[in-house]
Amino acid sequence: MNGLEALDLSVLAPLLFVSGGSLLVLLGEVLLSHRATFLGKATSPSWIGTVLSFVSILFLALAFFSAIFPFGEGTTKVFHATSPMLVLDPLANFAIALLTLAGIFVCLMSVTYLAEMDIHHGEYYALLLLATAGMMVLVAATDLMTLFLGIELMSIPIYVMAGFDRKKLRSNESALKYLIVGGFASAILLYGMALLYGATGHTDFTEIRSALASGNPPFAAAGALALFGFALIVVGLAFKVSTVPFHQWTPDVYEGAPTPVAAYMSVCVKAAAFVALLRFLGVTLESFADRLHSLFWILALLTMTVGNVMALIQENVKRMLAYSSIAHAGYLLIALVIGTPEAYSAMLFYLVVYLFMNLGAFGVMAALASRGEEFDTLDQFAGLAKARPALALVMTLFMFALAGIPGTGGFIAKFTLFASAVNAGQVWLVIFAVLNSLVSVFYYLRLPVAMYMKTSARTPARVDLGSGESLVLIACAAAVLFLGFFPSGLDVFFLKSADVLAWTKFAITALVFGAA
Amino acid sequence: MIPVEHVLGLSAILFLIGTVGALTRRNIIVLLMCIELMLNAASLAFVGFNRLWPVKEAGATVSALNGQVFVLMVIVVATAEVAVGLGIVISLFRNRDSMNVEDVSLLKW
Repeated sequence: MNGLEALDLSVLAPLLFVSGGSLLVLLGEVLLSHRATFLGKATSPSWIGTVLSFVSILFLALAFFSAIFPFGEGTTKVFHATSPMLVLDPLANFAIALLTLAGIFVCLMSVTYLAEMDIHHGEYYALLLLATAGMMVLVAATDLMTLFLGIELMSIPIYVMAGFDRKKLRSNESALKYLIVGGFASAILLYGMALLYGATGHTDFTEIRSALASGNPPFAAAGALALFGFALIVVGLAFKVSTVPFHQWTPDVYEGAPTPVAAYMSVCVKAAAFVALLRFLGVTLESFADRLHSLFWILALLTMTVGNVMALIQENVKRMLAYSSIAHAGYLLIALVIGTPEAYSAMLFYLVVYLFMNLGAFGVMAALASRGEEFDTLDQFAGLAKARPALALVMTLFMFALAGIPGTGGFIAKFTLFASAVNAGQVWLVIFAVLNSLVSVFYYLRLPVAMYMKTSARTPARVDLGSGESLVLIACAAAVLFLGFFPSGLDVFFLKSADVLAWTKFAITALVFGAA
Repeated sequence: MIPVEHVLGLSAILFLIGTVGALTRRNIIVLLMCIELMLNAASLAFVGFNRLWPVKEAGATVSALNGQVFVLMVIVVATAEVAVGLGIVISLFRNRDSMNVEDVSLLKW
């Protein structure tokens, strides 16, 4: 093999930290629960979970900083100089920072929740770290092989996590549905990859692009094969981001899965799959936004409309948030319709804000679950403002942010996205999107109405708040407000490097101009 | 030597059988088998297409082997998926005593 270069492992630091941490946590669970003592003290199983959660937070934080640290230093290609398997460009580093941050928040909100549900096993954190490693591979993949491996390494641990509460039928059902639908989707994706490989003879994105652009197909059917391959790959990825014809699994899986797992899926799987979709289409297809314009136009419209309309009739808050996450996927698809650097960076900013507001909303529900009982129906939320005023207040903030009300990060995210669409001349799509946002205000505000204007004889069973949970909620609420007021004017706080909008623009330039 | 078209035809037929089975069958184990069939069909397509793309290197014609390496990855992934899948099926079976997907209908709409 020529072109192979000496490998500098420090480039892969985030990936190595997370996968190594996962193995360490798995080993720690076995050793600690076998001895049942830790530093001479008898340990309850829940104690072990808490220790291992701190270990995984440590490794996720290491990965976070090693992704942030090289930010701005350009692109590193891993394993091969000309046709790399992974590319650690600013976009990948940005996405890795996003995913590890979400992973830390999910770990923090899981500690008390899992103990309350009596399922506090260390394997949970090992699976979480493994899934994060898979997402890192996915966002950095520039080869069909790593794309497939990343998707599977992300999905398989999440199948298990969705069924983690294995004594509960709802959790079993959620895991089973996700497994069957996810397996079906990855088989379709794989067949698409086979066809694309057959049509071009390459698995590397840039080589596929040049093979397609060369214009002399080696056999007559190559064009049709490539088209069919692209269609199947887009379908496979559309399952993962849950756009509309392929969204049916989302509400079932989110409702049945443990709340922190649903939070993790709604934020991280979506973010990773969107970045992968962007990179795959952006690198392999010349000016893909022009070619697939009408396809994504229809997908975006259908996804946001179906998501919002179905969310209107939900009585279960987790299910409502699942449909709302479908609607948000629809807004994010607008960026793929437009295909300008401005729109892509708006999409990344949207993903950042979505992380904070969605993790916050799920975090409130996780913080109210007690003794094996989920806290997820609208009835349970009635009169919450009296019993738990602080939680009701932050939940209201997150609902306002998800609805896109000014003063929150959700408004700025929607505004930058829709503004980029208007600049690109997509006025009708923006009109539909704004109408959809109006519809969404109705169901998001049902929660504050229930919490503040209704009364309930029952009071929530939990009266305390774990320190991890309060940390997550405070951080998410602060970030949502902060991004709402200072999306790009952070030098007020002498924190120029924390300018998220500038980061997103920087992250996207390598992809857009590097591929051209 | 078997023509490539035959390999690809077989892979397409297998994929169709798998897809139709995954959409119509009701037994969870059979569903998992149908998904395996789809993955194997894709593997077969990779092996078949690999023959289409010989690469000239240092005078001799060698194959780039991309497709064949891909198949090894697919085999590993498919095994992991089935292992997890059977674990999930067992935990469901303990609670439900059923292998029929129609009995798994707690979460709707």
